[in-house]
Amino acid sequence: MIKLGNHAIPPWTWSFLSAVIVLVLTYMVSGRGGMQTITLAFTVAPYLVLVGLGQMLVMSAGPGNIDVSVAKVFSLGGLVAIAVGDVTGSWVLGLGAAVGAGLAMASISIIAILYVRIPPIVATLATSLIASAISLTLAKGFQGSADPLLKGFLSWAPFGIPAFAIVVLIFTILVSMTLKWTTWGSQMLAFGQARRAAEYAGVSAKKTMVIVYLTCGVLAALAGALRASFSAPNVELGNDYLLDSIAVVVIGGTLMTGGRAVPAGVWGGALFFILLDGLLNLIGWSFAGQNVLKGFLVLAVLFLAGGAPILRRRVPSSVTDAAKGEENAEPEIKTLT
Amino acid sequence: MVSTAILEKFRFNLPKGLARRVLPGFLTLIAMVMILLICGAMQPRIWSQNGLTLIMSPIVALAIASMAQMVMMSIGDIDLGIGFFVGMITTIVATLLRETPILGVLALAGSVLAYALLGALVQLRSVPSLIATLGASFVWLGMGLFVLPVPGGSAPDWLFAYAFWQPPLSIPAPLVTMVVATALTWFVTRRTALGVRFRSLGSNPVALMRSGGSLVVTRMLAYGTVGLLGVLAGITLTAEIGGGDVNAVPGYTLTTVAAVILGGGMFTGGRAVAWGTLAGAVTLGLLTVLLTLLSLSSNLQPAVQGFIVIGVLAGRLVVERMTR
Repeated sequence: MIKLGNHAIPPWTWSFLSAVIVLVLTYMVSGRGGMQTITLAFTVAPYLVLVGLGQMLVMSAGPGNIDVSVAKVFSLGGLVAIAVGDVTGSWVLGLGAAVGAGLAMASISIIAILYVRIPPIVATLATSLIASAISLTLAKGFQGSADPLLKGFLSWAPFGIPAFAIVVLIFTILVSMTLKWTTWGSQMLAFGQARRAAEYAGVSAKKTMVIVYLTCGVLAALAGALRASFSAPNVELGNDYLLDSIAVVVIGGTLMTGGRAVPAGVWGGALFFILLDGLLNLIGWSFAGQNVLKGFLVLAVLFLAGGAPILRRRVPSSVTDAAKGEENAEPEIKTLT
Repeated sequence: MVSTAILEKFRFNLPKGLARRVLPGFLTLIAMVMILLICGAMQPRIWSQNGLTLIMSPIVALAIASMAQMVMMSIGDIDLGIGFFVGMITTIVATLLRETPILGVLALAGSVLAYALLGALVQLRSVPSLIATLGASFVWLGMGLFVLPVPGGSAPDWLFAYAFWQPPLSIPAPLVTMVVATALTWFVTRRTALGVRFRSLGSNPVALMRSGGSLVVTRMLAYGTVGLLGVLAGITLTAEIGGGDVNAVPGYTLTTVAAVILGGGMFTGGRAVAWGTLAGAVTLGLLTVLLTLLSLSSNLQPAVQGFIVIGVLAGRLVVERMTR
């Protein structure tokens, strides 16, 4: 029952298409083209992309895997980086401390998932509560500002393209290549597609889970540290990043059920979201209207891009489909979540 | 001889399924009673109608929202928008329902219908529920802000009357509401044909289809039930906070999931545990009371909550290993 068309179009097409449509609309509304809109989008997008890449890895590791602690870890990373950077006078140590904080938080999640066998969503929820408590304690009477050098780099945009975006772009390509060409990448995706089969084939469940969750925690904390250096640290800095990271990953074509990671799509989704925010601000829509439209657009993208082939084969969903492919309609094999 | 054989068989077969379903909720219930006893030991004044009403009334909305999440999880889906949905309902109740009741009722009915349509989207386009409800949560937030840009409004008079209602026999009013809501959810999910269809949609959609049920209709009905419970949660929350605020309880989204898991629910669907979910929600709600009584810095409260959730689930793992 797989349509040929589904294979011909790469899964990230929809997100980039949406981003381009929004960009064109922005140009039409503002009445002038130019790089400014693009530069702004590429300045803000990399943070969301970093968080999104981590979320993408976690989601690709199979059904039920999700990290809901990214928002609080993001804020914590920002606070830790600025605090340590301020005390030691070195932004490198600050970023290092943020990475450490991300590792520590992700370790709590992964220990809870692997050894206490808590479903990931609850385990990472508990981690998120712990991270938020640390952030609140740290933020009490918090002072300190980012290193000017780092701040300068983050807002440096030669020829209208922010240098930081290039760095994150290269990182995205690295992630993409790791997934495609290394053994670990194939193992991780195989694990996401069929956990038990992959385990019989010798993929270590423990190793896969540890790597994806630690990477996600580190990326969230690092993105938070950089975001805090770009503007200012804040307990609520990361709050938008939870829903947005999940949304951009899925809009980008990564399967929620795991087994298909689309790093390029994260960029598409992030640019789409950020350009959309810009467009709505331009039109002068209220925050309320922005949210309603954002929600409807996410649902519309889902409506258009929904029914991905792997998903359809595994879940006998629509009646017509199931009627046509009765022999294909295996009951969904759900791994322990 | 035959009867004993059957008995043997029963004794062997029955507890396993039942234990798996009931045990987690039962353990959570023990945790709940323990927290309640500790609270009572530290502050004996809570052992009165007023005291119990005071500590339980903030939990009512959480308990009903957890019921909604439980129905959602029994069909194998997760709702990441329930927090903002409940918030949006409070804004409708505090403004439209008070000023123009007919319009308010229509708006509430529209919200339930919107949920049912969301179910249709999930089913027809095989969209993951997580992301569909996430997208919808933006809509709920926006709608709530449209109705009430800043927290305000006022609960309808009948709702105020409910908030000050003192049932006879010095039973705390919140307890009555919670038990009635849970009993209704339990009845629908476990004692009606509709509930069987919900659960089979979660555990074995192919079986549901072959037995002649429509997947789309079932999922729409399930989502409609979730919306209905969400509306009820919103109404009770309005009674609690006395007005409307779309940002009142964004934390419900994840807390309700934790409540269902504590109550013995599963992400994979097929399991409806109304009473366990009630125990889970009350446990999570009482934790806040306990931590306040311990006069712990409010900054540390989330961390303790996180560790206790891990602790309860770790305890369950140990008990499950022992009973196996």
